[in-house]
Amino acid sequence: MGNIFTTGLFQHMFRSATPVGLAAMGGLMTEHAGIMNIGMDGMILMGAFTSVAVSWLFGSAWLGLLAALLVGVLVGMFFALFVVKFKSDEFIIGTALNILAGGLTVFLLRSIFEVKGSFRGTPEQPVVGLPKVELGVLAKIPIVGPILDGSSVFLILTWGLVAIMWFFVYRTPYGFWIRAAGERPATLRTAGISPEKMKWISSALSGAFCGVAGAQLALGDVTMFSEGMSNSRGYVAFACVIFGAANPGKAYLAALMFGFFDALGYRLQEYANSNLTAMIPYAITVIMMVYVVVRSQRRRAKMGRIAG
Amino acid sequence: MQDPIVQFRHISMQFPGVLANDDVCLEIQKGEIFSLVGENGAGKSTLMNVLYGIHTPTGGSLFMKGHEVRHFSPKNAIDLGVGMVHQHFMLVPSFTVAQNIVLSKEPRKAGIFCDKKKIRKQVEDLSREFGLQVDPDAVVSEISVGLQQRVEILKTLYRGAEILILDEPTAVLTPQETNELFDILRKMVRQKGMTVILITHKLGEVIAVSDRVGVMRQGKLISVEETKNVTEHSLAAKMVGRTVLHDPFEKKGEPGKACIRVENLSVLDNRGLPAVKNLSLEVRAGEVVGIAAVEGNGQSELLEAITGMRGIQNGNVYVMDSSILGRTPGQIRAMGLAHVPEDRLATGISKEGTISENLIMGKHRRKEYTFFGIQVKKKSVRSYTKKLFDRFDIRAANLDTPVGSLSGGNMQKVVIAREFSFDTPVLVISQPTRGVDIGAIEFIHQRIMDKRDQGCAILLCSADLDEVFRLSDRIVTLYEGEITGIFQADSITKEEIGYYMTGARREEEKTHG
Amino acid sequence: MDKKKMDWGYFGSLALSILLALGVGGVIMAAAGYHPIKAYGALLQGATGCESIGEFLTAAFTKRQFGNTLEYTMVLCMTGLACALGARVGIFNVGGEGQLYLGAIVSAYIGVLLAGCAWWIAIPVAALGAMVAGGLYAWVPGVLKVKCKVNEVITTIMLNSIAIYFCTFLSTGPWKTSQGNRVSGTETLVPDLQFTRLINGSSLTTAVFAAAVIAFLVWYVMSKTATGYEMKLTGQNRRFAFFSGLKVDTITIGAMTISGAMCGLVGMFEVYGVKGSYQDGISKEFYFDGLLVAMIMRYNPVGIIFMSLLFAALRIGASGMELNAGVPGEVYRIIQSVIIFFMAAESGISASVKAKRAEKRARREANARLEGKANG
Repeated sequence: MGNIFTTGLFQHMFRSATPVGLAAMGGLMTEHAGIMNIGMDGMILMGAFTSVAVSWLFGSAWLGLLAALLVGVLVGMFFALFVVKFKSDEFIIGTALNILAGGLTVFLLRSIFEVKGSFRGTPEQPVVGLPKVELGVLAKIPIVGPILDGSSVFLILTWGLVAIMWFFVYRTPYGFWIRAAGERPATLRTAGISPEKMKWISSALSGAFCGVAGAQLALGDVTMFSEGMSNSRGYVAFACVIFGAANPGKAYLAALMFGFFDALGYRLQEYANSNLTAMIPYAITVIMMVYVVVRSQRRRAKMGRIAG
Repeated sequence: MQDPIVQFRHISMQFPGVLANDDVCLEIQKGEIFSLVGENGAGKSTLMNVLYGIHTPTGGSLFMKGHEVRHFSPKNAIDLGVGMVHQHFMLVPSFTVAQNIVLSKEPRKAGIFCDKKKIRKQVEDLSREFGLQVDPDAVVSEISVGLQQRVEILKTLYRGAEILILDEPTAVLTPQETNELFDILRKMVRQKGMTVILITHKLGEVIAVSDRVGVMRQGKLISVEETKNVTEHSLAAKMVGRTVLHDPFEKKGEPGKACIRVENLSVLDNRGLPAVKNLSLEVRAGEVVGIAAVEGNGQSELLEAITGMRGIQNGNVYVMDSSILGRTPGQIRAMGLAHVPEDRLATGISKEGTISENLIMGKHRRKEYTFFGIQVKKKSVRSYTKKLFDRFDIRAANLDTPVGSLSGGNMQKVVIAREFSFDTPVLVISQPTRGVDIGAIEFIHQRIMDKRDQGCAILLCSADLDEVFRLSDRIVTLYEGEITGIFQADSITKEEIGYYMTGARREEEKTHG
Repeated sequence: MDKKKMDWGYFGSLALSILLALGVGGVIMAAAGYHPIKAYGALLQGATGCESIGEFLTAAFTKRQFGNTLEYTMVLCMTGLACALGARVGIFNVGGEGQLYLGAIVSAYIGVLLAGCAWWIAIPVAALGAMVAGGLYAWVPGVLKVKCKVNEVITTIMLNSIAIYFCTFLSTGPWKTSQGNRVSGTETLVPDLQFTRLINGSSLTTAVFAAAVIAFLVWYVMSKTATGYEMKLTGQNRRFAFFSGLKVDTITIGAMTISGAMCGLVGMFEVYGVKGSYQDGISKEFYFDGLLVAMIMRYNPVGIIFMSLLFAALRIGASGMELNAGVPGEVYRIIQSVIIFFMAAESGISASVKAKRAEKRARREANARLEGKANG
């Protein structure tokens, strides 16, 4: 087992946790605003595609990231248009958004880049990836050094974003307003602030984070776009939000847990069929969901209420 | 007399199908306590919602401090110094007291962060200034209703309110809390020069606290008088527009055997605190037992436990001599109980369902209405539900109308038609006429009396004490989940009952007749 | 006791949404440099195999493409109804894909084991196996939802991934065919066990009759029976249903399980009718297509049956379009989802227009009354 728990495992853990964690930051915005955001998977996918296309076109990963963020905001506002303005069913709109994202990205992939499956750029013009962390001498620091060295810079940026999100949600007035919009919209309205506006903002933010998550997935990790590359990560992120009770720190920890099991599954391929080990992170996500809900249920069961 | 601080000029408010305010002209003076009384649906709340900017009136104009209000929004109203304490509190349960008070106007530091220290200090200063003690760091969902109301008042004061509107402020308060509230209001008016508008239908309170009183009926303002010139009786007559008290029903003869037996029952509320404590009670065939209690004293939990909607912590309940322990609501129904629930939208109907679908619920598997218990006999269902529809005088276009589009009174008739037609020996009825128009109240009361006369054992709970008095043979007073007295309805007055409801008096054993 | 929700206004907005979505699809294709009218022509041809209406009327039932369209109609109908079963009681089965995969591989393996048996033994056993596999796989999230209140959308999505990996494991490992040239998949079924094709060269097989019976049963239960009534009321107001004495937990879990069993059966149909063995990627998001159909038709069984035909033509036609006109077939996914967005927008806008109109009318009435008073 010695060759499982290596620094490589933890590097892999952070690598697969980062996009999920970023998307979860977006997911907890909508969660606080009282919107069930099932459409995150599609938002990630569109972000990933945009970032690759723009990075390839302009040869700049940062431009690709910015474009993914903007597209994310647009998609988030598109989502809000239906869910907030037209009061449509969140589940239906989210599902339709995911299907649209799947169809649109594949269509564009085939019609713009004329490839099937995946796109890594052309030989003369490759897709540019986001920069990696280069620690230089510091890489010699035991454990931390090798884990961080060579990782995507977003690994570290994400830590900063998690902290910022925590302050945003729990320490700024906007955080209070968004939470009030989700918990008691009428209260916020009578206090003179439109809960709809807060929901729009949180949807746009959610889209932005998912867009960035997509960019990180495509440019921070593999430097390519492949069909359906979000691979249910949006749903995993949603589960992380639930698991972390919409608290940024806890949600990120949940994402790390997903990353850990993803990495572990990958490492276990030496010992078991790779298809079996690939099931592990998804199974863990289900178990996570059940655990957190059952725990809160048990707390409530103390009271006399019978569910109906 | 100085200029009025608020002037309603010919205000009308038309909702689809309902004229909630009809040409209302009213002036409120600075520094007075003004009461607005009227029955449910008389238009009091609508008028105040106009003042608070929630509704834009469909006719007329509103003047405040001499200027016409052109833009109706809560924000604008707040800026003009209007504060409103809603009947259903507008608080965020997971926030602390301080966070709720400053919501939307948080003091900041560095431009973007909430300044926690300043928030706490401002809240403390405010609560000291007005003598409204609160703990700024307590979480709202964990404090009592009386304290929550205090937070609501502080919230409006924090926003610089000069005109304070309170919508049914005493509905959820104990008499002590009510007195405290009135003291605070008087102080605010005398010392701070504030103006208070009280929406209520409790006439005693009006007389006790207000300077002037306006009566509304069916959207119109019927009269405005100095409080010293009115009596409860004269107000009541104006409110209803006819003799106030309905004729009491004749109390019928001997009740039969006990159909509901509650033995040493203990039940928890949603927060996990004891709501019903070691309570014992009997309801016999052919009698109505009414529960009189201030809201939140365990009556809801008691009825929920009896009908299987809430778990039983201790003790037992027998319906027709069988225990309900571990039974589902469906099984308890099968034991011979029908139930008109307190919250009809949540548990009494399906809003999307048609009238017919709502009426047949519970009988849909019977032989008359299915072939071999499988296929629905559409025609028999329709003819049966049509019969109920007619007999209970449900006003709607047809049987296929979604119940959600009916008025409160007609929705309630759907529930009552369905539950009463089970012909069970036991009926548990909660808030039979809440939000129901006056015409339908009489009808529903008559049906309940018919049921009693047929030998049904009825347990009734209502927030309306008059209703409890009118319908009950025996009255049980509850205070903090315990029985404080059991009385023959004709041997006690409303005033006396009041003492028992508030725990000021209690009896050890039932006597009184 | 059904109907009502499917009124004419609904059909109008549906037709309009479909037209607009086709328009959007055309614009997207044009923007990507394709000729939209030619592309749609190729789509129609791809769905029917016919070049003119005359040919369609006389010879449609001999065309391979039309047979494929009908076969996919059957798939959509089954998956759409499966989705509607859950949605009707208020539980969304998004895990049909995984249930379908499990049904497919279990039935395929049963077929391999029973290769020597008569078809009238092997096929019912295989169908039963597929239904049990799919049903159990839906039962799990159903129980989790009802007993533990775990969001079924997330669990079923996760279970999809798990099932697909697991099937790949089986088809490349223990249940792999011994035919040397195949990397994965189960042994090909003996010809005896494969369904008879109704149109030569197409995927349309006798399975369509079984599907028709099942569709009829689902419609019958949902709209004619007391059980259907209970399902509907449970979905509308669960609390009310529970306190009125319905066994809401049983109803919910039952609906979910049957929904999964139907998906499992679709998997079996694919194996026994189309592919002849279990192969990886046997369903290309068939269930999500059905889910969209069900959503668009607001879970109305009759509506789903008809809408399936349109969506099947769209998908089968799109692959023909890709072949003949070079337009990426994925355009059909865009059109499908855009229909949903248009319908949601339409109902949102018409609701707000209605509210505005009511408000205006109220204002007019109030003014008229005031004027009447002033004059009188």
